[in-house]
Amino acid sequence: MRLFQLVTRKQIQRYNYYGKRRRSKRFVLNHLKFVDLSYVGHNHNSVPCRYSKQLFSSVLCRTFNVKSIHLFAQKKNEHILVEWLLIADKGDFSGKNLSQMSNVANSTNIMWHDCPIQKQDRQQLLQQKGCVIWLTGLSGSGKSTIACALSRSLHSKGKLSYILDGDNIRHGLNQDLSFRAEDRSENIRRIGEVAKLFADAGVICITSLISPYQKDRDACRALMPKGDFIEVFIDVPLHVCEARDPKGLYKLARAGKIKGFTGIDDPYEPPSSCEIVLQQKGSNCKSPSDMAEEVISYLEENGYLRA
Amino acid sequence: MSSVQALCQACSCAMFQNIECKLGFAKFCGINAVGLSRGRKSLLKPIMAKEDHGASLIDDGNPKCQGHQVNKPNGINQSTALSGKSLTEMSNIGNSMNILWHECPIQKLDRQQLLQQKGCVIWLTGLSGSGKSTLACALSRSLHSKGKLTYILDGDNIRHGLNRDLSFRAEDRSENIRRIGEVSKLLADAGVICIASLISPYRKDRDACRALLPEGDFIEVFIDVPLDVCEARDPKGLYKLARAGKIKGFTGIDDPYEPPYSCEIVLQQKGSECMSPSDTAEIVISYLEKNGYLLA
Repeated sequence: MRLFQLVTRKQIQRYNYYGKRRRSKRFVLNHLKFVDLSYVGHNHNSVPCRYSKQLFSSVLCRTFNVKSIHLFAQKKNEHILVEWLLIADKGDFSGKNLSQMSNVANSTNIMWHDCPIQKQDRQQLLQQKGCVIWLTGLSGSGKSTIACALSRSLHSKGKLSYILDGDNIRHGLNQDLSFRAEDRSENIRRIGEVAKLFADAGVICITSLISPYQKDRDACRALMPKGDFIEVFIDVPLHVCEARDPKGLYKLARAGKIKGFTGIDDPYEPPSSCEIVLQQKGSNCKSPSDMAEEVISYLEENGYLRA
Repeated sequence: MSSVQALCQACSCAMFQNIECKLGFAKFCGINAVGLSRGRKSLLKPIMAKEDHGASLIDDGNPKCQGHQVNKPNGINQSTALSGKSLTEMSNIGNSMNILWHECPIQKLDRQQLLQQKGCVIWLTGLSGSGKSTLACALSRSLHSKGKLTYILDGDNIRHGLNRDLSFRAEDRSENIRRIGEVSKLLADAGVICIASLISPYRKDRDACRALLPEGDFIEVFIDVPLDVCEARDPKGLYKLARAGKIKGFTGIDDPYEPPYSCEIVLQQKGSECMSPSDTAEIVISYLEKNGYLLA
């Protein structure tokens, strides 16, 4: 109550916080969300000016009896989210209490920097909706072929697409990863993060990798906003893939030269709830163009090909 | 134009005028040079095209066919480069020899043609507090107003996502820059103008990122702001923490920053006069326009 009176007397308006007092007279503010900074003033980048920020910091320092307060202001939606690092009298550092920073376990000094050109602006420019088409299936099921056909069809419609082939990425971004189980998951995680960046850039990102485990695919789906992840399961039986064997890998795996090959040594978990299933009906084999058209009709029905 | 009209008048034939409308002047000369009989065979195709609904397909097919013929030598070089790339790329991966590079027919040139821009990476480097993110936002806004597709890879934002598993050790810092370089290479290959905004203090890491991209696709922008000005600004309060000893290995205080020797653009702050972010963005955009990055 006394603290609240002090706050009121200093004319800090619309102030909401939850404080906890400790024996060493340090204050840890856990749930501070919004502070009205209208009187503080802003420059053209919507960041509080240095002078006003210092004034505001000094007011808060006197109010909460701490040594110093550093303000970090980020603009999110309509409010100005204010977070700060408290340095108490004894130099205690409690940055980890802030929820914005809790995602990064190694450092508490990384702030999310928003930019005025957002995803909607890029999608408006491209006249398409950025999304991730995640092709999953066994080796030899035709993922790369369908990805190429899909990219060609989208390009003929004037849509910008990009293929993240799992094998190509291993030459570049993921060249430091091996084929151990945890490195395989890391491979899928990184491709998911890059696909998220491409979708945020407005590009229709077509990922083409086996990704045999449901857990990894669900983790990638959780990265995207809802509706931006389109899982396409290319349902081709194992014996058909093995009969095709376009890269000669099944032969090597059967001969024991490749360990842990998906479909032979390691299992493949079919998706339980994916958006599109491209199924091969018996011995009747659909052409890659037909399967690509099936995906494109899904995109058109759900409004991905217009902004 | 007048010479073309003169040729049309000299021929005094509506058929030639139709050909002139559909085909380019150079191709018209080509047809003329081939000979009368082969020229007559080529003349029949536009007339046939006008008679049915296949006209647009044939018209689309013609540039594609021409493009294919033009790209055929490039294709030969590309296949040679592809085999060379396979040999060199496989040696990088010591764990597996079964990864083959999968080429796709929709190439970078097609995407750049679609976007009417040249995919490149604008690598903003400078001290913390020198205005990299501000310049990146202003640059993105200006390019977007010109109808160009840009994407900002902010070093801090990437640490929340792709590089979540990295710490601030020396090797993890280099890995952070390597991964951002690889992602920017992918974005540039997709035709996007990628604006990478991170300190990247070591020349070795920046040169490694430059080596990833083709010649001319890496535009290094050095924001030359003195350390005392950055420390006086201190927009994120990090210099104060570093001076107080709370942050170890901070660039500019504990760790050195190596200015680039030969970068494309240097945005220097002249004395105490500070340029606005829009002015510095215009300097970069004029460089892009001068070198043909904003037109396919």
